[in-house]
Amino acid sequence: MKLGEIAGGTATFVRERFPVEKLNAESMLTKKVVPVHRMSWAYYLGGLALFFFLVQIVTGLMLLFYYQPTVSDAHASVEYITQHVSGGALVRNLHAWSSSAMILSIIVHVLTTFAMKAFAKPRELTWVTGVALAMLVFGFGFTGYLLPWNQIAVNATKVGLQSIEAVGQYLPGEMATWPTYVRETIQGEAAVGQATLSRFYALHVIVLPFLVAGLLGLHLFQVQIHGMSRGVDSERVGSQKFFPFFVIKDLSVWGVAFLVLFVLGLCLPFESFFAYPLMEPFDPLGSTPEGIKPEWYFFFVYYPLELLPYWAVMLGMTAAVVGLFVAPWILRGASRRTLRAIAIAAAVYLVVITVFGQPIYEALKGVNP
Amino acid sequence: MKRTAVAAVVALLAALNARAAAHGEYQEFVRKSSGRPVDCALCHAHSNGPEGTAAGQIGSLSAEELSRLGRARAAFEPGANVDSPILNDFGDLILQRVGKKRVLELRSAPDRLPDELGVASDLDADGVPDAREYLEGTHPLIASDGDPWSLFVHNVRRHVFQLVMITAATLITLFGLGNLLHGFAVRLRAKESAGKGAGT
Repeated sequence: MKLGEIAGGTATFVRERFPVEKLNAESMLTKKVVPVHRMSWAYYLGGLALFFFLVQIVTGLMLLFYYQPTVSDAHASVEYITQHVSGGALVRNLHAWSSSAMILSIIVHVLTTFAMKAFAKPRELTWVTGVALAMLVFGFGFTGYLLPWNQIAVNATKVGLQSIEAVGQYLPGEMATWPTYVRETIQGEAAVGQATLSRFYALHVIVLPFLVAGLLGLHLFQVQIHGMSRGVDSERVGSQKFFPFFVIKDLSVWGVAFLVLFVLGLCLPFESFFAYPLMEPFDPLGSTPEGIKPEWYFFFVYYPLELLPYWAVMLGMTAAVVGLFVAPWILRGASRRTLRAIAIAAAVYLVVITVFGQPIYEALKGVNP
Repeated sequence: MKRTAVAAVVALLAALNARAAAHGEYQEFVRKSSGRPVDCALCHAHSNGPEGTAAGQIGSLSAEELSRLGRARAAFEPGANVDSPILNDFGDLILQRVGKKRVLELRSAPDRLPDELGVASDLDADGVPDAREYLEGTHPLIASDGDPWSLFVHNVRRHVFQLVMITAATLITLFGLGNLLHGFAVRLRAKESAGKGAGT
């Protein structure tokens, strides 16, 4: 292929993804329609994830007023927020619950979008930015987990960082040392300590939010300019105007989500799902307490790592991530029926490993991980 | 001088007796009965127990605290006012309710401690009695630690006013949004029929 052809192809690709004739409020707002069919509920999931993200920003900013990112004060400042700041326990609990709710809604959003083949031309960029956003959100989870500086936070982060370094044993020559550099760069010092906390804090409150804001802007712009995909093969697909009808319904979903989140935040402490020794301040001289695990949304990789050879899990996960990014191209000819079957299989795997991961582990190994 | 000597003797006795004072049988029972990991912080001021030099451990105690420790260890019968520097409020409560003598006896039957504590006490006011928290391996002094469902029910009762208000606010908002939607739909239909009328 000649250089001119490549440049021409690229220009066409960009022109189709950013159609100049649609760059106006009329096309992107008033004339935009949303398909109505049996899977229409899935169109609200992206907005729901956005709502929980906004809650994260608001509650996160409130927590910033009191949180101290130092190994000596981090845990005490979190305790202070929970016990002495007016509404502190509620804000912290809302932050914890909405992070889980955001990740859950993103996972379901990715699965339904995949099943509806919403990544098909011209929505490839919508899909790719969406998958990148999902990765960043997992990054939020990983970096935020360390900040309370309690036993589970520090020990789980150590395990997570060690698993990055373990990749090195499967890489050839000089490349074998690269994962160690990556771990050391993230960690900032020989062991998880102040430098790690400072870096995770910076990533959590500055770097990741900026990256998410940029990608989210591009994602939403693509959604508005290309509209929602048809989503189903059925001939009988109705439509409704995006503005005001879909927007009002979306706001109603946000209202219900806020109510549920508020009730959970006020009445069900997120920490009640963890044994109290895991919530004690990290003791570098003490022994590692039992029950160290990552957050529930990492179980899909945590339990396989405990049960299967490391290389097999890493290979599978890398293939899954790469597959997700290139899905618009490698699954261009796949039918919605096939995609739905893949999405259902993935959903079953995620539910089973997340809910029953521990009993499965105990049944297969006979001990606690 | 005399006070310092007494404190030194108490400290020595305490250090020698520290391991026995930790009463690991209780911890072991709670871990087995609840299936949750527990540590010494269930009853002690420090999560590693009374031995050591950190705050809340015997090695760090001042003369006044050693004196309080001595009084707590002498509380053999129930009803004494206990304020031990190496125990937390739950540890103190156990000594107050059952007495040191009974605590030592119950080491062979730690499952009977909840009966002796009774269900009246709830130190963290989380709606789960301390005796039940002991059985379930949750912390009697941490309000956010407990059986999630019990905490949820207790907090719903506690915050019923706020919950009613937020539910009412949400319902009113949803009602308003529903009406807005209906209004727009009526306007759209009117516009469409006007368009059809003009066409014919």
